[in-house]
Amino acid sequence: MTPTEKQSKLKCMRCGHEYTTSDDLIKVERACPKCRSNSVRRVGEKK
Amino acid sequence: MADEIRIGVFVCECGLNIAGFLDCGEVRRYAEGLENVVVSTVNRYTCADPGQQEIKKKIRELNLNRVVVASCSPRLHEPTFRTCVAEEGLNPYLVDMANIREQCSWVHSTDRKAATEKAKDIVRIAVARARLLKPQKENEIPVTDAVLVIGGGIAGIQASLDLANAEHMVYLVEKQPSIGGVMAQLDKTFPTMDCSI
Amino acid sequence: MKDVGRHPRIKLMTLSEVEDVSGYVGNFNVKVRRKARYVREADCTACGECATVCPVNKYNEYEVGLATRNAIYIPFPQSIPSSYVINMADCLSKDVITCNKCVEKCQKRCIDFDMRDEIVELKVGAVVVATGMDVYDPTRLDEYGYTRFQNVVTSLELERLINAGGPTGGHLVRPGDTKAPKRIGFIQCVGSRSHNRGNPYCSNICCMVTIKNSLLIKEHYPDTEITVFYIDIRAFGKGFEDLYERSKREGVRYVRGLPEHIEEDPSTGSLRLKVENTTAGCIEEHELDMVVLAVGLEARKDGDKIRHLLSLSQTSDGFLAESHPKLMPVDAPTRGVFLAGCVESPKDIKDSVTQASAAAARAGVILSSDKIKLDAAIAVVDKEKCTFCELCVQVCPYSAISASKQNKIAAHVTEAMCAGCGSCAAECAFGAISLRHFEDAQYMAQIEAALAENPQDTAIVFACNWCSYAAADLTGTSRLQYPPNIRIIRTMCSARVNEKFVMQAFKLGAPVVLVSGCHLADCHYMAANRSTVKRMDRLWSRLERLGIRPERLQLEWMSAAEGQKFARVMAELDERRSKVTPEEIEQTRKALEAADKKKVA
Repeated sequence: MTPTEKQSKLKCMRCGHEYTTSDDLIKVERACPKCRSNSVRRVGEKK
Repeated sequence: MADEIRIGVFVCECGLNIAGFLDCGEVRRYAEGLENVVVSTVNRYTCADPGQQEIKKKIRELNLNRVVVASCSPRLHEPTFRTCVAEEGLNPYLVDMANIREQCSWVHSTDRKAATEKAKDIVRIAVARARLLKPQKENEIPVTDAVLVIGGGIAGIQASLDLANAEHMVYLVEKQPSIGGVMAQLDKTFPTMDCSI
Repeated sequence: MKDVGRHPRIKLMTLSEVEDVSGYVGNFNVKVRRKARYVREADCTACGECATVCPVNKYNEYEVGLATRNAIYIPFPQSIPSSYVINMADCLSKDVITCNKCVEKCQKRCIDFDMRDEIVELKVGAVVVATGMDVYDPTRLDEYGYTRFQNVVTSLELERLINAGGPTGGHLVRPGDTKAPKRIGFIQCVGSRSHNRGNPYCSNICCMVTIKNSLLIKEHYPDTEITVFYIDIRAFGKGFEDLYERSKREGVRYVRGLPEHIEEDPSTGSLRLKVENTTAGCIEEHELDMVVLAVGLEARKDGDKIRHLLSLSQTSDGFLAESHPKLMPVDAPTRGVFLAGCVESPKDIKDSVTQASAAAARAGVILSSDKIKLDAAIAVVDKEKCTFCELCVQVCPYSAISASKQNKIAAHVTEAMCAGCGSCAAECAFGAISLRHFEDAQYMAQIEAALAENPQDTAIVFACNWCSYAAADLTGTSRLQYPPNIRIIRTMCSARVNEKFVMQAFKLGAPVVLVSGCHLADCHYMAANRSTVKRMDRLWSRLERLGIRPERLQLEWMSAAEGQKFARVMAELDERRSKVTPEEIEQTRKALEAADKKKVA
């Protein structure tokens, strides 16, 4: 399970924490590294 | 009128599990005031035989065509009440449940007033859904009495033998020229320390 | 094994692969390719004369390369069917008949170079997937020198070296110089339990395989010094701890710690390694004649084909996912398909047999009925409204919907394949697909009823039947308390939540909305909740564009066991709710009404 190299920007809708990840955003469960909430939104780069 | 919606709301006390924490009588009165609700009753244990008889009786007497049971989780008793109304000739999909136990009385056990208000809301939501429920038909399809087993290792072999011995036709497909899989390569196997083939 | 070959109700097809599967529970149509064997199975007596004249020598797969085989061969003496086979890629006569020695030698005249692959079509009511696993290839772990050092072998190679039917007749020798090894080391967890080398999971069998092999070696060669390097010994099965204790009594030494790397003494072929003994807290040096790598198991590299043909899903480790890890452990997410053995997860023989019998019993439930009932709550298409966009086809986890943009063919749901998640109904922008018994209008009515009185005090929670709604029930059963302002609306799957449900809730004055469902990997509809994730991203962007704080929409995954999490999330949600002012709610309502008007205009 190699993570994709692409970095995505995420923002937690619960605590506001912003971070980046190389995880697959659809296949891997998003959880804020600070508050563990799943209300994590993909921000930046518009499709 | 044939398509007039006639709903019966059956509020369950569940012994003291519900009645101990909220006012079932008030919920019943509130339910009876809702549009399309023809009758509302309170029962000690709606899932028990007397409770089910009450539902059937009301369907019969008042020509109910929708039933809302305000009691426990549908994950627990929806099948019970579906069977119950079906026995009275009503399509089993015309039942909805208002979960006023797991999601109300038990989680707001220190605030009787708030729990009662919430129970009324939950019933209102369920009645809103019940109005729009439609009878559904469960289709039946025929079954071919044969099974495909893919892989002839120990698991595929065991599954094939069990199914064949239970009188089913088995097609066992193996990629390699022989069945046996990895198991056939092993020497003695644990825990019995006997040979693998 | 023999019983399979002669059972009147088992049709055994070896050298065969499933090429295509269509249909659904009770009525699968399967195409199987039976590859040419070039030896007539029914006539071959396995006398072996043919192989004695075959001039070709190739890698023997069964002996994992410790021996050779001919181009015409029998995989192993007890093979079922008991018939030779020609590997045409190895045969000298693969294009033009140039050799023909075996044909001349065969008295039964059962070798036939003109055989061709055939396609067999089958109709079955159920499928058992028992395709097994791959054994981890440690060549990738260069530090242990497998393939560089001849006396580093895998546990599977050791099986052949100690097997009376193996290439050495059961005499344990090391491959480098065929001398009997006096000092053997076993290295555990090779390819397992490591995030950077191999696979992160425990392969389940390797501890017991090593313990078993150490006992077998001790039985035949009591003087052998055996050292096992391990992280933990996991001997949890019935009778397993006894074997572990017995192995220790026989003098096998267990050292807690894995060596970093192995060095070879080129003059003797012996191996040297250093290891931190974490129990004793010291560095140990070992010189060994042979090292056995206890290799783990991994998902089959060629497993994707079957997975796609049957619309199955895999867990993050690559093994196939079951319908439910506790309650439906042998049912695959596709109805009528069952899993048995290592294809589902690494397991030993006993567990494989147990699971296979369970899968057989589950399949038998279907096969023993003349007819089966389908759940009524499935998707149905209004063909008039369908615009052939194929979005529903893309989100259906079961491949139950077909449609064609190109040929303007409206969506069609194969009812027996639909499990009723409702993702298609949530995706369709034209209202052309709805889920029976869980229709849009019913949900809209529920939302309206929930917000009919004091909407500013109400938090709307969408909860999926299998996990988050069950978590809410568990919160109740556990008598955990949370604020009474929560109104829960049940969907079968979080993927049923149409974006318009959420927008409707905000329009009607809901201060906050929570969408919840099973953890991403635990979806009861394969991976339908991945669609939920995409919709949430879309919703958050949409809210932001409309000037509505996206933080008012929350998402949480909760398993049926997470009652405590549910209570905590509800308390937080209510806290968030209390901070939304009436002015903000009014602004939201206006913004959404304006947006609606724009759409109409």
